[in-house]
Amino acid sequence: MNDQSLRSALSQARGLGSAKGGSAHWWTQRVTAVALIPLAIWFLASLLALGRGNHADFVDWLQSPLNTILMVSLVIALFWHMALGLQVVVEDYVHTRPLKIFASVAIHTGCALLVVTGLVSIARTIT
Amino acid sequence: MKDDNAPLSPALQIYRPQLTSVLSFMHRLTGIALSLGSLLLITWLVAGSMGSSAYDMLLSFLRSWTGLLLLFGWTFALFYHLCNGIRHLCWDAGYGFELKTIYASGWMVVAASLSLSMATWLIGIYAMAGGA
Amino acid sequence: MLIRSPDQVSRSTLLKRFPVPKNAGVDAASRIEQGKVWPAPPGAKNVKRFEIYRYDPDTGENPRIDTYEVDLASCGPMVLDALIKIKNEIDPTLTFRRSCRDGICGSCSMNIDGTNWLACTRFIADTAKRATIYPLNHLRVIKDLVPDLTHLYAQYASIEPWLKTATPAPEREQLQSPEDRKQLDGYYECILCFNCTSGCPSHWWNGDRFLGPAALLQAWRWLADSRDEAKGQRLDDLEDPFRLYRCHTILNCTRTCPKGLNPGKAIAEIKKMIVQQKG
Repeated sequence: MNDQSLRSALSQARGLGSAKGGSAHWWTQRVTAVALIPLAIWFLASLLALGRGNHADFVDWLQSPLNTILMVSLVIALFWHMALGLQVVVEDYVHTRPLKIFASVAIHTGCALLVVTGLVSIARTIT
Repeated sequence: MKDDNAPLSPALQIYRPQLTSVLSFMHRLTGIALSLGSLLLITWLVAGSMGSSAYDMLLSFLRSWTGLLLLFGWTFALFYHLCNGIRHLCWDAGYGFELKTIYASGWMVVAASLSLSMATWLIGIYAMAGGA
Repeated sequence: MLIRSPDQVSRSTLLKRFPVPKNAGVDAASRIEQGKVWPAPPGAKNVKRFEIYRYDPDTGENPRIDTYEVDLASCGPMVLDALIKIKNEIDPTLTFRRSCRDGICGSCSMNIDGTNWLACTRFIADTAKRATIYPLNHLRVIKDLVPDLTHLYAQYASIEPWLKTATPAPEREQLQSPEDRKQLDGYYECILCFNCTSGCPSHWWNGDRFLGPAALLQAWRWLADSRDEAKGQRLDDLEDPFRLYRCHTILNCTRTCPKGLNPGKAIAEIKKMIVQQKG
């Protein structure tokens, strides 16, 4: 943008001013991260236990109430953390505005759809 | 007086990779890898909800060489992102910023993620091969 | 490779630059070309090569790397001594900022062997066999090793680095206990050399909006000052997805600070204070 060169340096540094927000995103990312620590460990241990099993073993495992709850929690926490993280990556590297908006919306929509898919699949498996 | 033909000094092209920047980039890379892996997670749940033929088809892919390679990469990505994630959470709480600690914790994360991946895989292979 | 303090130079020979092409992602005007070689005077025994980034705005040619062979037998120990010797005896057109030669003014910051430091406090003995010297990263080059710091100074100004009080000034000093004064240690000593900011990858990609470690460290210096009465307004001005939250704790800043300060920690303290503000 050529007109930028006539703006004062302070005007360019100040930009549109502070959005006075952004800490919620930061905080939620950390909360989901903390939740994912035990959930990921549980998930890995479960996968190791399920490794040799077949479909019936999988259904049995998922039908146990504790495993259902943890699996649902994992899906929600995982995709929430993932959506926030990928949004940050887009903001870092994508600098053309329309593409940035499209990518951020696509990420959040995609993650929401994946959560719904996951939860519906769990529901259909255990019933 | 601004000269629009003036060059931009090089950055990524010449800056020395250091433990700080490399581990941070790895954290992002493993995060993206895990994001792709989560698609596999949902595929697994969907297959599980569709009955044994769909589930068995997915499992045979996962037990193939390609599948095992993907799972191996995913395991390492998970452990690295998990260990470095904990390191990040310590920083967010305000701890571990002395340069000495940054470097020590960084090497610990590398060692921990490699050994945890190896251990998990040994257990996995043992479990798959029919061990107790 | 355990680094205890930032003046420890990395000795690793494994990966000296990210494995990208030398001129990767660089616009046509910034492509670096091969330059001249300035040989050492005959009879020089202890010769060291310095590969230095050159750009002449008067010719408008692309930047280039000139190689200077310097006789260390008649040169001071620091990289700045070598630069001054080159300018005095070999090539008077070599241009760089310098002043105190003492590590306190912050003028001679540049990228030496891939990391940012002050030329006057970097020993030549600690540099690679062929020492490479570039200007601070991802900044418009005015000439040779002189980058345009205007935007960085503007970002510093935008955090309003002065004491803000509503209470009328007392007749004598603003009182501050020793414990409160201690909160400024590690932050007031910043010499605004901008080694940290120009070494921050986030600032490379989003430097137009991300304030960078130098400005944020100073922002924390004023937040930590017990005499300042505008903490809320300062925090509101900082809480922004770009101004503050482009920091992903990469920590290149802490690694490269030639005064041993810790911008990463300062930024973490700002984020903690914002969370505290929210409840």
